[in-house]
Amino acid sequence: MNADLLKETFLSLVAPDLPNEWDVEEAVEKLAGLDEHRCHSIMNQVPVIWPVSHSLCFDYLKAAADALSCIEPVTLPIWVNRTLDQYEKNGLHSARDYMANVEENFLCPLRGEAGLAFTEVAGRLLPYLRGLSGVKLDLAAAPVVSTDTATIFVPPEISLFREGGDNFLLYKLIVTYQWAFIAQGTLTVTPPQNGNREPEPPGETLWLQEFLHSFANPVLAGDIYHLLETARITRFLEKELPGLMRRWRDLGAEGTIAAGAAACSNECMAVLRRILLEHRGDAAVWPLSVRACRAVVEEHRQARSAYDSITATTKLFPLLHALAPEYSSQAPPLFQGYLRLDAVQAARRERLAELEERFIDALATRLVNFFRRNGQSVENAESSEKLESASNLEQGVALIITGNEKQQNDPAAQTLLLTVNNEEVETGEELEDLASSIISELGYLPERYVSSAAGRAGTGYAPDQGGTDATGSGLTAPVTYDEWDFRRNDFRKSWVIVQEKELPLLHSSFVRETISRYHGQIVRLRHQFEMLRQSERFVRRQHDGEDIDLDAVLESLADARAGLAPSDRLFVRLQRDQRDIAVLFLIDMSNSTQGWVARTIKESLVLLCEALSVVGDRYGIYGFSGMRRLRSEFFHIKGMDEPYDEAARQRIGSIAPREYTRMGPAIRHATSILRRVEARTRLLITLSDGKPEDYDDYKGEYAIEDTRHALLEARAAGIHPFGITIDRQAHEYMDHMFGERNAIFIDDARKLPGRMPELYRMLTR
Amino acid sequence: MSNTRLDEHRIENEPYYLTQGHEVALAEAAYRSGLPLLLKGPTGCGKTRFMQYLAWKLGRPLITVSCHDDLSTSDLVGRYLIRGGEAVWTDGPLTLAVRAGAICYLDEIVEARKDTTVVIHPLADDRRELPIEKRGELLTAPEEFMLAVSYNPGYQSVLKDLKPSTRQRFVALSFSYPDPEREAEIVAREGRVGFDVARALVKLGGMTRGLKDSGLPEGASTRLLIQAGKLMGLGIDTRSACHHGITEALTDDPELLQAIDEMVSSIF
Repeated sequence: MNADLLKETFLSLVAPDLPNEWDVEEAVEKLAGLDEHRCHSIMNQVPVIWPVSHSLCFDYLKAAADALSCIEPVTLPIWVNRTLDQYEKNGLHSARDYMANVEENFLCPLRGEAGLAFTEVAGRLLPYLRGLSGVKLDLAAAPVVSTDTATIFVPPEISLFREGGDNFLLYKLIVTYQWAFIAQGTLTVTPPQNGNREPEPPGETLWLQEFLHSFANPVLAGDIYHLLETARITRFLEKELPGLMRRWRDLGAEGTIAAGAAACSNECMAVLRRILLEHRGDAAVWPLSVRACRAVVEEHRQARSAYDSITATTKLFPLLHALAPEYSSQAPPLFQGYLRLDAVQAARRERLAELEERFIDALATRLVNFFRRNGQSVENAESSEKLESASNLEQGVALIITGNEKQQNDPAAQTLLLTVNNEEVETGEELEDLASSIISELGYLPERYVSSAAGRAGTGYAPDQGGTDATGSGLTAPVTYDEWDFRRNDFRKSWVIVQEKELPLLHSSFVRETISRYHGQIVRLRHQFEMLRQSERFVRRQHDGEDIDLDAVLESLADARAGLAPSDRLFVRLQRDQRDIAVLFLIDMSNSTQGWVARTIKESLVLLCEALSVVGDRYGIYGFSGMRRLRSEFFHIKGMDEPYDEAARQRIGSIAPREYTRMGPAIRHATSILRRVEARTRLLITLSDGKPEDYDDYKGEYAIEDTRHALLEARAAGIHPFGITIDRQAHEYMDHMFGERNAIFIDDARKLPGRMPELYRMLTR
Repeated sequence: MSNTRLDEHRIENEPYYLTQGHEVALAEAAYRSGLPLLLKGPTGCGKTRFMQYLAWKLGRPLITVSCHDDLSTSDLVGRYLIRGGEAVWTDGPLTLAVRAGAICYLDEIVEARKDTTVVIHPLADDRRELPIEKRGELLTAPEEFMLAVSYNPGYQSVLKDLKPSTRQRFVALSFSYPDPEREAEIVAREGRVGFDVARALVKLGGMTRGLKDSGLPEGASTRLLIQAGKLMGLGIDTRSACHHGITEALTDDPELLQAIDEMVSSIF
């Protein structure tokens, strides 16, 4: 195809956008030589990429010709999809890099040749780790293996073995070793406390770091210590997780080599590694070079704690330092990873800061409650004798930790006593837990925690009084949702940002007026809805029941006398039909509802709420609008468990047309709300006035398909979606979007207030 | 007639029960003082076994009712039945237990509707009476009668909670999984496996119990561990015994399934 034709095709595909002609010409230049079939398959992908990123689309056109030299046109969409994934995850640069090397980035993984990526295994590895540790450790991908005691860092990809299963085993081994380092105290080792010596309160810096820096070559000391610990952990794991270690051994020497045990340029260290990590219980041959170390290493085999490795390090260091005076850092075995004490320290500091904050908070709350209960108002005391009372308070509060000498290292055995002016105050579980966490971390409970809590209590601080934000502001943190792209047959990842917001309140008499205008209808509706209420009724002629159905007994006796077969259905049973329904009404607040449409929607909501208050179903009302994918707004009108009170009425009155109708994300957000509600039947009723549409490319088929997909997701979550549309005529897309018979259109908005409660009754009967 | 029915509920042989603390002494004291028992704890941790043991120890029949949300008052107290053209009263399990001075154990009481549970109120305080409205009868429980109920605080929803007026009548015993050594002993004995295998199973159980934040509300119970042990004892290989006896019984989530299988393959 020639360049002009290509340019024309391109422009027609991206219309109504008008890209810079030069850019287009430059981009299609490379395609000019290709045959028509290839050009078509490349051009077919343009509508998929263009709305996501224009620059990426140009890059794609430039790279596509080369890509087609090694991939079939049928696999081109998959390649484009992966590129888009890359773009959405890591940005334009990463996507460009991805496109640049088709063979390695795309074809190898496609053939199953490449390594195992962390993202593929994270879902399985994380629960494995959590189960192993029993605490909330996290996993993350990083260039080097290490842990800071809060997160374990593993390689983003492992491709040492041909078999994916073996690569996974290595992942598992890395995670298990790093967990064992944390659990066995490798990183948080401290010298054992002597009985007769006053225990030194552990300082703010890591003891291990200070220890390593006391050597002439801290790097060597660190490597020796870590290696000894790895050897000790290996023995620990052999005992604890024999299955894992056996499978690892089964990989043989290949496994050890692959893990980098031998990849060490320092000869002495390499020999030591081999002896320590590959030792199989038989008497290893000790080469002359490191024979001096033998006694220490043999002794270390009995090591029980991290401190035993410290002792061994002290002994080994002079020997190895003499053998390798110029020692520099070596790449450790993969599963051992690096010691990153700074990170450990930072994580510890973070954890402590969080503990401190929570502890002070909890203690202050307890103190405030204590004073309130005792009729002593902290605030009053403060206003009269401001300075004095605050300082008195601080002095009067004391935390006493009891527990006998021997149990000092076991926080669980210690009891926490809180006294205020010599009067004991109940501490509560939370406070005790926090205190014991702090003690296990620091070794003691710093005095300043108590005094700052007392100080905070003195200023009348009460954390549970956190007031709600001003109207119109965000209620919760924004949530991101994927969006379905039908052309790509996949999601655009984390594409939309939904922010839950409070409606700005308008004081109006709207609700009151509506109620009085529709008074007659409301009375009738209430009556109809009363019938829907949880009903208890007696059902007669049952096989089994609470009481005897006398009519049935008489009849069966008569039958028996008459020689007929008597019935055995002789009981009355109390049948309870429980209504266990939760409904979420999702209201379209787009600009197009301006005028009487918005008004009728509001009126029908009022009618519905009045009727629903009789039935007792749980229901929530939310509105949605927004503009572009980064500002999709979700308005709280009435929460699922909030009462239909004056505030809710006010908010219904405040519903007003705003911007566009990006329906998919709103449905996904509503689904996530309904998902948290426990009910036998969960309904999602959408009320809109037309097609979903946003300011950007969210329109036409894309918008309909995304909405349809969001509704399918809701259905998969066990929610029944139903759509009500106010439009002049029925549209086919409604059935397509909601599924047949799950949508209804109302041609005259004035009918809506009457129809909606009726519809609801039909739906939930 | 009721005697033959009652005999079925007698426990002849000593059920295996390993005490975890002083729960047996407490329960006996409650029995002697005529106080009802409330057992709480996760599924499969030995609540029902404890009741069997207690019944055996006290030498009383044990009548167990598994509660469900269709359980009606008549199901507990009794009802009239038609037999040969006549209306005959038949005692329900609760009435039977009261008359005979047995132990009535209402398992998973929160599953029953709240209006059903109120019938036990007069029985569960110092009145110790059971009114049978339909017969116009008021039964007073003999000294030997004991009421016990159980529930699992773990998976209760907001809708299913004991009313304070119900729960504040009981002596409450809280059960949890035994400590690893004891649990291994139980698994070894009940599952008929070696002590090492039992200990490994308990380790696995402990790991699954740490997955609360990862989407597993309740980890493997002692009962499940025993179950896997039994399968192993019958020659099923370790990994499939654990897979079918534990992993698949815990969850349907594919990633959690894999993660638990990985734990199995690490331990064994």
